Amino acid sequence: MNFMSLIGVELTKLRRSKIILILLAPVIMMWIPSIVNAEIHFDPQGISITPEYNFFIQGFMGMAWFMIPASLVICTVLLVQTERSHKGLLKMLSLPLGSAKFCLAKFIILLLLAALQMVLSIGTYYLSSAIVSQLWNYNFILEPLYVIPEVLKIYVSAIPLAAVLWMFATLIQAPVFSVGLGLASLVPSVLIINTKFWFLYPMSYPFYLLMIAYGKAAKGIFETEIAWLPWLPTAALITVTALAVSCIQFGASERR
Amino acid sequence: MILLLEIKKLKRTGCLPAFLGGAVLAAAFPLLNMLVRSETFTALPGEPFRILTDANWQMMAMLNILTIICGACMIYHTEYANNGAQKMAVLPVRTYQIFWGKFAVTVLALAGMLLFEIAALELCAMHWFPDYHLQLTALAKNLCFSLIAALPTIILMMLIASVCQNMWISLGIGVILVFTVSVFPKENLFLSLCPFNSPYQTLALAAQNGSEWIFTLICAAETIIFGIAAFIFDNVRRYFL
Repeated sequence: MNFMSLIGVELTKLRRSKIILILLAPVIMMWIPSIVNAEIHFDPQGISITPEYNFFIQGFMGMAWFMIPASLVICTVLLVQTERSHKGLLKMLSLPLGSAKFCLAKFIILLLLAALQMVLSIGTYYLSSAIVSQLWNYNFILEPLYVIPEVLKIYVSAIPLAAVLWMFATLIQAPVFSVGLGLASLVPSVLIINTKFWFLYPMSYPFYLLMIAYGKAAKGIFETEIAWLPWLPTAALITVTALAVSCIQFGASERR
Repeated sequence: MILLLEIKKLKRTGCLPAFLGGAVLAAAFPLLNMLVRSETFTALPGEPFRILTDANWQMMAMLNILTIICGACMIYHTEYANNGAQKMAVLPVRTYQIFWGKFAVTVLALAGMLLFEIAALELCAMHWFPDYHLQLTALAKNLCFSLIAALPTIILMMLIASVCQNMWISLGIGVILVFTVSVFPKENLFLSLCPFNSPYQTLALAAQNGSEWIFTLICAAETIIFGIAAFIFDNVRRYFL
């Protein structure tokens, strides 16, 4: 059984899980206040930013800070709990396949679900910016060549975070702790992003990239250049370590 | 009786340690804030407890809400994981009593959390502001206010967790509600009364607007309304779930 068909099996398991509704609801919610209070984007409160960039950044702010990590936590719960009933994981482990393969297939599903949410958020962004443009007779729509790379960057920066959350989910047996740890760790990311050690904290990566985009759109808000050097090796190391730990620990309590 | 049973069920789910962990994390916020940059706060004019809550309560309340969500999901997950709820339904127990038992456990756990957090704020105030003295009545008032402000959130989350059999759906709905209230403006009185938004309110802020009694009463009313909804749902759930 090759890896692609394993992913296909994992995708069939998502049927009737209603996860798409859970992923769709926040990307609709994040634009409603922006549409209702669209006039606030014309008043940047002393920051030199154009209304269309303000609309984009403010809309994605809550997404990058809170909703991407939170959605990943929800998806890890889904991936772990679907195997829970009728001892699904035990049956999987008794198949003549390496458990690391299963673990990686599930991780790929996690990334696919996050990618789906990003695509949905781009879609709803264009929808809501079109609505606001109609309402206020001002072009709020940014070109796709700006929006798609920015969202893609935020998405890629969430991969280390996904690996860490997946490690929590496989390592910690009690769901209340893995979920609680994931949710609690995203609360202080706003504080950590302003310290020197932000690159050690994967929960703050998507928000950091959004703040860089904010800094580019409005001078003086934040740094404009991404500090690649301590970040990239650290992020790669965190991702690899987290994935290795989760592959080794996948199904450990069932195997004992 | 039912309360003791519900507490017993939480053994080995890790719920009670999770509540304690949430309280410790939340209490660490004012402590860390004061350790790192105490001079920015001690220089501020006004009442020390107020300064500390203004600086830290947003984060602490968010942690409390997330802990409530996690706890509520877990407390109902223990029922649904191996069809425990179905077995309970054939016992000579009223099933809505189970809801109230679970609600009472969560309220007690949150009361413990709030006591811990407010005590931490008081200790910070006493340590870093030399002319501040402990006022037990103010402390008790703050505790009661925060607890009542959190009641609608707790009962709504319990209701959601009791409706959805899959843990990721109830967790998802809870987290989406937290996200939704976080993107809406906070100043609006109507929005600040909504469940998932009311725990962010502090007594000092409500007293400044003169709305502490309205706030308390409306939160209590919301709790009763959601309680009635839970009772009705409990009676009709077998028709469609």
